[in-house]
Amino acid sequence: MARRLPTRRDMRTLALLVLLLGLPCVQANAQDADAPEGAVIDSVEMSGFSPYSLSPGLQKEFDSLIGTPLNRERLSQLVTRIEGEQPEMVAAVRSVARPDGKAHVIFLVARISDDTDLSENINARYIVESVDIDGPASEVSQGLRDDLQNLVGKRLDTDEAEKLKDRLEKELPGRDIARRISKGSEAGRIRVVFEIIEAPWIPFAPTRSKLVYHAEQGWSGVLDIPITVSGSRHRFTAGLVFNDIDDLIEEYSGFRLGFESRKIGTDKLGVRLDFGHFNATWEDATLSALSINPAIPEPYRNRLTFEPTATFAFSPSVRLAGGVSLSDLESLTHAPDSQKANAWIAGISADHTWKAADGRSSQSVEASYQLRAAVDGLDNDLLYKRHLGQASYRYKQGRGEALGSISLGYISGQPPLFERFSLGNSTTLRGFDKYDIAPTGGERMFHSSIEYRYHHVGVFFDTGSVWDRDGDAKIRYSTGFGVNNDSFFLLLGFPLNGNDATPIFMTGVRF
Amino acid sequence: MSRAARRASPWQVGLMAMMCLVSPLGLAAQTLSVNAAGDALRVQARNFPFLEGTVLTRLKEGRSVRVDFELTVLSKPEGPVVKQAVQGFTVSFDLWEERFAVSRAGSPPRSISHLRANDAENWCLENLTMSISSLGIGRDTPFWLRLVYRVQDLAPVTEDPGDRYTLRALIDRLSRRREEADLAKSVSGGPFRLP
Repeated sequence: MARRLPTRRDMRTLALLVLLLGLPCVQANAQDADAPEGAVIDSVEMSGFSPYSLSPGLQKEFDSLIGTPLNRERLSQLVTRIEGEQPEMVAAVRSVARPDGKAHVIFLVARISDDTDLSENINARYIVESVDIDGPASEVSQGLRDDLQNLVGKRLDTDEAEKLKDRLEKELPGRDIARRISKGSEAGRIRVVFEIIEAPWIPFAPTRSKLVYHAEQGWSGVLDIPITVSGSRHRFTAGLVFNDIDDLIEEYSGFRLGFESRKIGTDKLGVRLDFGHFNATWEDATLSALSINPAIPEPYRNRLTFEPTATFAFSPSVRLAGGVSLSDLESLTHAPDSQKANAWIAGISADHTWKAADGRSSQSVEASYQLRAAVDGLDNDLLYKRHLGQASYRYKQGRGEALGSISLGYISGQPPLFERFSLGNSTTLRGFDKYDIAPTGGERMFHSSIEYRYHHVGVFFDTGSVWDRDGDAKIRYSTGFGVNNDSFFLLLGFPLNGNDATPIFMTGVRF
Repeated sequence: MSRAARRASPWQVGLMAMMCLVSPLGLAAQTLSVNAAGDALRVQARNFPFLEGTVLTRLKEGRSVRVDFELTVLSKPEGPVVKQAVQGFTVSFDLWEERFAVSRAGSPPRSISHLRANDAENWCLENLTMSISSLGIGRDTPFWLRLVYRVQDLAPVTEDPGDRYTLRALIDRLSRRREEADLAKSVSGGPFRLP
């Protein structure tokens, strides 16, 4: 930023102003000691500004000070009036004791633009009363804490404060530091707070709340109510599902209860317990397809699941998870007979976001792989291994946003219907109906999507296929457009190589 | 329930789509006007505030905010550009006086304090000028204006990916969308003629 060089007079005025503003915290010697309250004012001086430039009323007030007892509140009000009349200036006042006990009052007025600190932040005129760290202060070195305290008692030096903020960021990698200021305990004093913002190593699982409409499949509703406790370390979730036909091949309703802790002794270890009870209903297309394919396990009336897992974070970006998923599937046709589908779970996930130095663009990547293995030894009726790999990329600049994602799935053995892959809903192969593609889902799956949005209005192109091990993989394409901002969407999808070219309307909220 | 019965009727879907599409139109009208002071062309904007929302929150936390204004003169509503002026300002909020202070970047620097929000916004526009003689357009030639502000150096709030879909996060996200809207805005107007 180009700046006019201050003149010598400006500099002198500034130096005086800075001196005066800083004086309250400096041990004054006998010669320039503050005059006591009530001392008679014998002279008044204004430096850095002509008193004749003030309004007549203020000039009169200024002149009338001589001979009156010193009243600091009155002087302070005059300073405020001077600044009110001259908004491009800052003013300060000091009263100096004369040897004869009288008081000499000096008003110092300086142009704001001549002081870099004041130009950057008008609060730099105030004296720092205290400096606090909001967050784990014990993790900050003693040397840095001492340097932070050195700000106390002086005018706020914004450059120095920024340097200290940078040092805090270096000492606490992976955390954001924010500096804020608040009023102090008395006028003209401020408190400075350096806030340490911790990014969790283990995030809570995304909740599934949504209200989605798909023109071929109808409405799906899920409401998760999370309750976070213990400083965001633990979370309970109670969830209700109303006719969710968007996720799986089955349409299901029921409830789930969950508990998550993302800090078990350390930020690197977390646990999660999920319990759910769901009632499943089936589309005619699914039941018809099942009747001619006895290799697929039978449909169920009720699904009871319990899923305890533990997560270990190698870093805030990379996490390893493991656990078990226990499911009891009550037969649709032979109740109360049921089948057990109990699987070990192992997975790894990584995510990272890069932000441009100017803050105008960002890139984020997410990738995950999960294996669910229902093997002997877990009291299983259905044995299978399900592999799912997913990756997504997002580039955001201003109002524009480009997204890409890919998913690959593979199942061996005899998976229950809720584990089978399906495509053709409000997030995959948009424009198709999953019951037209694969009414019983499939054991192999591939899907990719690219999308561009500008100010939440975008176009997308989806590609995918879902098939069984002895079937053919027919690649399907769809495209569409609409409003999509992750939380709310209103889209029209067109199948490009389906049997039916009718577009499909989709809308809903996810939260 | 059969799939056919589950489907909403076409009028329900149409009504929903209309509501979704029409809702963003409920914004207050923003208007531009121009005036001249000597050779300087100045712009005034109505319903174009920037000291609100996230920016105001930051200022009231004692932080300063850098705002860049861009004034573009166009020969047609969508271009081409005749001339463009860019001016940066640093805004802070005096915690004790409860008034705004603004500093104009560049040479010569200018600063002012003790302003209310509306006055601070107007002061920025008063200090965003363009030389009329440099435009090279006649008094009867129509022109259009585009005024943009961008708030700089506001790091986004750290988002916990785990909270991305909670009810509270929805409120936060909707607020953040509002925040993003607070950080950059533009308004266009015309045709104008030189005063």
